[in-house]
Amino acid sequence: MILTFGCKTPPVPPEAERANALEGEIWRAGGSFFLADEYEQYRRSLADVRARVAEEKAEFGWFRDYKDLQIELRDLVTSGESLLVKIGEVKSSKSTAFAAAVQALEARVERLKEMTLFFNESDEIRRSLAQADIKIGEAGMLVAKEKYGEAETVLSAGAAFVENAWKAAAALLRRYLDRGQMARWRTWADETIAESREKKIVAFLVNKIERTLTVYRNGAEVAFYEIGLGKYGLSDKLYAGDEATPEGKYRIVRKFPESAFYKALLIDYPNEEDRRTFAEARRKGSVPAGAGIGGAIEIHGGGKDSLTKGCVGLENKDMDEVFDWAEVGTAVTIVGAASIENTILADILKYSDHG
Amino acid sequence: MKKGLIKNLVVVVAIAFALAACKQPTALIDGTKAAIDKVTQAGADKYAVEELKALNDDLAKAMDEVNAQDKKFFKKFGTAKEMMTQLTAKAAELEAQIPAKKEAAKNLAVQIQGEAQAALTEATDLLAKAPKGKGTAKDLEALKADLAGAQTAFPEIQAALDAGDFIAAQDKAKSVKEKAAAIAEQIKQAMEKVKK
Repeated sequence: MILTFGCKTPPVPPEAERANALEGEIWRAGGSFFLADEYEQYRRSLADVRARVAEEKAEFGWFRDYKDLQIELRDLVTSGESLLVKIGEVKSSKSTAFAAAVQALEARVERLKEMTLFFNESDEIRRSLAQADIKIGEAGMLVAKEKYGEAETVLSAGAAFVENAWKAAAALLRRYLDRGQMARWRTWADETIAESREKKIVAFLVNKIERTLTVYRNGAEVAFYEIGLGKYGLSDKLYAGDEATPEGKYRIVRKFPESAFYKALLIDYPNEEDRRTFAEARRKGSVPAGAGIGGAIEIHGGGKDSLTKGCVGLENKDMDEVFDWAEVGTAVTIVGAASIENTILADILKYSDHG
Repeated sequence: MKKGLIKNLVVVVAIAFALAACKQPTALIDGTKAAIDKVTQAGADKYAVEELKALNDDLAKAMDEVNAQDKKFFKKFGTAKEMMTQLTAKAAELEAQIPAKKEAAKNLAVQIQGEAQAALTEATDLLAKAPKGKGTAKDLEALKADLAGAQTAFPEIQAALDAGDFIAAQDKAKSVKEKAAAIAEQIKQAMEKVKK
């Protein structure tokens, strides 16, 4: 009888193996990242009950009693399985949040890329955006490996590049957000349209930020065309070779039915104000040595997507129409912008206000 | 008979005291822990993550056994010693595998770095050849700036290689390669525009 009792040793509860296996599953599921405290609590509880199982196992077979331990192990398995489910939910929610963060960053990148289509001076912006794209790609690879901590760090680096790009865009367009400057441009535009209305004549209004040339006849808009500008077209032309497109009120002085750029309309840049500005800039040392004020600014064909040296470029078919509208003496007013409601400027303002 | 009984009793008590005096195999435990630390230092935390976790889990189980025996009067550390010995051997085995795993990761990173460089070179060559004709000058200027950005990111790959972070180097190289390839594709599209 004693021998019979002695041979019958209770086995370690099967829940012990399940609890151990669960720890591995929770770890592989990312427990230490997504629910670190609860994972650690599970590990501590497991270590404690496992130590007591080992103690019990070390007893003589007759004295082994796993009853209480089995209850604890069952509770532990239940809590481990709940933790696994919870990790799945947290992971899913973090993945979603991470995907949303990536999407938001990509949207900012795309918006800036769209904006750079409207200005040529986008080297610094594009360089930063390219680096942002690379970081976003790298973050995506880390997310695929469920390395969310490292992915967050890399995505932050990407966000910093996007921030640089926005800062560069804001710096480029600072002049366009100056209310005094905007008021001057609006005045020029209004005066030009008023002249067209009062004298019942044609006038051209070039809007640099919108990249448009609008034809007014008798003060009413009758046509508009998409245009190209100088490489540094957003800047106000200051001297020869700066590849900027001038701003001001000009007139057509000559029509070329044939030119190197299909057809061309020469305007009377520099005007008096241009000369005053040039002289002032030269006094301040802002003009490179030997550089003149420049000239030969035209509205010409040859395409709107090619970079000019400061001229206003149009597609040939559009140039045909503009050429027909124009006469020697037709007003050509070139402004940076006519309204702060332009979407690019609105975005820059929003960035400047909120970051 | 009485003498024999007393003699046996003395032997039993002596054995009992001898067993009770058994101490933890401290040197073996320390040696096992050191072996696992060594394999961690060798890079198992990056290149053999699952295997390292299994080693640490096994160490925990072995320590449970040691602690359980330690609480008893008749201590028997045989099982624990065997567990520790096996664990030390497993750690050494894993440590021996790490250099090959690292080398494989490094080779892959260098390979992808080469592919990234090739993609950057292709984009640079295309840009140089692209006709700056009607409708392309602005696009090509923008792509030139994009390429400059990708080239700025390229040295990070070598920095990761130099730091021995071969997995990170692989990811960085892949990302630069993808960006360079995308730029090359856009250059080709711009060139197609000119042909039309």
